[in-house]
Amino acid sequence: MKLFSTDHKVVARQFLWAGLGFLLVGGLLAMLIRWQWAWPGRPVPGLGWALPNSGGALTPPAYTGVFTMHGLLMVFFAIAPLLIGALGNFVIPLAVGARGMAFPWVSALGFWVFAAGGVLVLASFGVRLGTASAAWTSYPPLSTHVFTPGVGQTLVMAGVVCAALSSFAGAVNYVVTVVRCRAPGMGWGRLPLTVWGLFLTSVLNLLFIPVVAAATGLLLLDRLAGTRFFLEGAALAPGTGGDPMLYQHLFWLFGHPEVYILILPGWGMIGDMVAFFSRRPAHGYRGTVLAMCTISALSGLVYAHHLFTSGLSPMLGRAFSTLTLIISLPSTVLFLNWLATLFRGSVRLTAPLLAAVSAMVVFGLGGITGLALGTVTTDIPLHGTMWVVGHFHLTMGAASFLAVFAGLYFWFPKMFGRTLHAGLSKTHVLASAVLFLAVFGGQLLTGYAGQLRRLYDPYQYTFLKPLLELNQWTSFAAFALGLAQLLFVVNLVWTLRKGPAADANPWQVGTLEWTCAPSPPPADNYPQVPVVVRGPYALSQPEAQELLGRDWIGQAEELPAEAKPAAEGGAAGPEPVPSLGGTS
Amino acid sequence: MDTSTLAQPEDVSAHGHRIDALLELSHRFDLILAVLMLGVLAVFLWHFRGPRKVAADGGTVRSRAFVMVAALTIFGVVDGTLFARSLGYVNEVLWNFEVPVKSPDTVRVEVNARQWAWEVRYAGEDGRFNTADDVLTWSELRVPVGAPVWVQLASSDVVHGFSLPNLRVKLDAVPGRVNQTWFQAVREGTWEVACYQHCGTSHYKMRGTLTVMSSEAYATWLREAGRQAAPGYDGFDAAAHWGWEWRPAP
Repeated sequence: MKLFSTDHKVVARQFLWAGLGFLLVGGLLAMLIRWQWAWPGRPVPGLGWALPNSGGALTPPAYTGVFTMHGLLMVFFAIAPLLIGALGNFVIPLAVGARGMAFPWVSALGFWVFAAGGVLVLASFGVRLGTASAAWTSYPPLSTHVFTPGVGQTLVMAGVVCAALSSFAGAVNYVVTVVRCRAPGMGWGRLPLTVWGLFLTSVLNLLFIPVVAAATGLLLLDRLAGTRFFLEGAALAPGTGGDPMLYQHLFWLFGHPEVYILILPGWGMIGDMVAFFSRRPAHGYRGTVLAMCTISALSGLVYAHHLFTSGLSPMLGRAFSTLTLIISLPSTVLFLNWLATLFRGSVRLTAPLLAAVSAMVVFGLGGITGLALGTVTTDIPLHGTMWVVGHFHLTMGAASFLAVFAGLYFWFPKMFGRTLHAGLSKTHVLASAVLFLAVFGGQLLTGYAGQLRRLYDPYQYTFLKPLLELNQWTSFAAFALGLAQLLFVVNLVWTLRKGPAADANPWQVGTLEWTCAPSPPPADNYPQVPVVVRGPYALSQPEAQELLGRDWIGQAEELPAEAKPAAEGGAAGPEPVPSLGGTS
Repeated sequence: MDTSTLAQPEDVSAHGHRIDALLELSHRFDLILAVLMLGVLAVFLWHFRGPRKVAADGGTVRSRAFVMVAALTIFGVVDGTLFARSLGYVNEVLWNFEVPVKSPDTVRVEVNARQWAWEVRYAGEDGRFNTADDVLTWSELRVPVGAPVWVQLASSDVVHGFSLPNLRVKLDAVPGRVNQTWFQAVREGTWEVACYQHCGTSHYKMRGTLTVMSSEAYATWLREAGRQAAPGYDGFDAAAHWGWEWRPAP
């Protein structure tokens, strides 16, 4: 494999391996946090090499670094590259019928900028005073040189800027590819929902990634160049500084859309999987697309619900609460359309469908536990508690993770030309889903009882002491969740070495990547650019069953009955192209 | 495991019960929606499994209308109820500073958060802040029972989060600005002040105590503490004079 390849399928695999690597690091950091909450200050087995002075026990400075980097790595270096970098790069050109990305060179550049950011972030663990420790939100003044003087914080901020540049480059590429490089006949109404999700994610990335890059850039200037954008208070002579609140507004103006950036591709995949594996067209396709567009449009208008307790003006508090609650309407439409697709379908419980349905469940629970946070009054007791942590881990942690696996298990045969072990895949998905619910359910419960997030030792507070046992149970579930990932590792290693060769269309669906290209596709994807004649969900259509004897038709496959009238009428319709149609 | 721990911290405020009631209602909605969602999903996955005759369309006009009506109904009932009831609390309590403004026995305190303690300033006998008879306590907030307590909050270093879990109070302490909130305790006793914003290495140790006293005991304590404070007043110790003139309600 060429290291600097401009083939979107190679770049996708690079993002996949890098993302899985960072997922492992971020996951291990999560295990350390869970250890600390179950047995505060007790030495972590096997960690003596990293923390020799404390014999392997997390110290308060080490702990702040651990939870800060868990958040930053998962958001910027694990979920984003897996869901958007890997699956986006792989699926978009194939699914729209293009021979590659609009700007292949930008694809490759995007990965290498991301990799440079990753190196900076990993390097931060080895410098004096340790890695970044001002939480993933990096609120100033804490994150400035005055209160976090270590070079680790600077390295991590620079790494985040790299990740932002990479996301921006990817977004430009995806948007142009979807807008300009669709195959003939591939109208907007014929795009699979996954492509819609990835497209809307890219639009949001174009709009909001520059905001976080700017905020982080200004913070870096404060740290390195002596500016005072976000410094105020005793760190300066009164009245000579900037405003820390400015950063909070910029951060969340990006931070809330980021939640949707990380889940929109997942929503698209859920929509696709429930249709494919119910063997029927997606219910209310246009309504689903419209709901996803509406949520994308609203996503930048709800962010200040993160600031309800910041001294926000009451007028803004009421406005943002209203807008936040409004977003639950299109979300409900999405959800009901998925359910309605399963209704009167013919459900095949494959690994991708189980992952998609699990993502639905955790996303649904994450959504409804957010109601109390979008409402100002009920936000007060819950703000800054583990309730918030449980809520957003369900939506952008568990749901995005399961969506990644829905996508990975679905497209793996196309990506690598080999077939994963179905039983291992299903067991991995179900075990992960159940354990996600246990871990994040435990967090919701402790949050409801008032446990504040990010505490090195929550039991310093008398009112939190009784929660120790619940936290220990939650930690056991978390360790089990970590171990369950071995099922995936074993499956992956076994399949890549000895897995049986994959069929061109193992799932028997009609989208272009499965019907017009072998597994894996050649460098330029399609022997001949397909001409699309129908939507992505032509499943269980009676006329196809009659003529072809199967319950699916390729998106570029013409039925004899359809081709004739067009030829006779001499219409300027697309030329019929022979489809490989699952024959191999 | 003691299941009584799986509840909100005990409420000792005059208005917190309204938050708790709304939170309980929201949990009831959560429960109903969760059961509906899981139930319908499980039934669909089980009932429609395997090869069978399929509705080969992307929904009919009726089924799509059903989705819209169901979504609007859930949205109207759940979000509508939560929003309306929240608005009531917000307008009458949380952002209604008419109460502390109008009440004759309102107590004003200034809180300055710093790594990693709560400095509390009481106006003393003259009723003005930043004067020689101000009373200062460290990580110990004393208030009289039954009277509205009007808090002005700032930070002199990083962003902190001032919370009184038992009084359902939460507000950020931000360097460079003064935030305000108010609360009213209904029972004497000692509870905790907690920091809910990550503020550095010892964030977890930024714990204070809240002592709710009878109004007589509070008045006696304040008078005595003010008398002791005056001789120790050092006009040149600038760092000790972080107090500020009382500001108008937001």
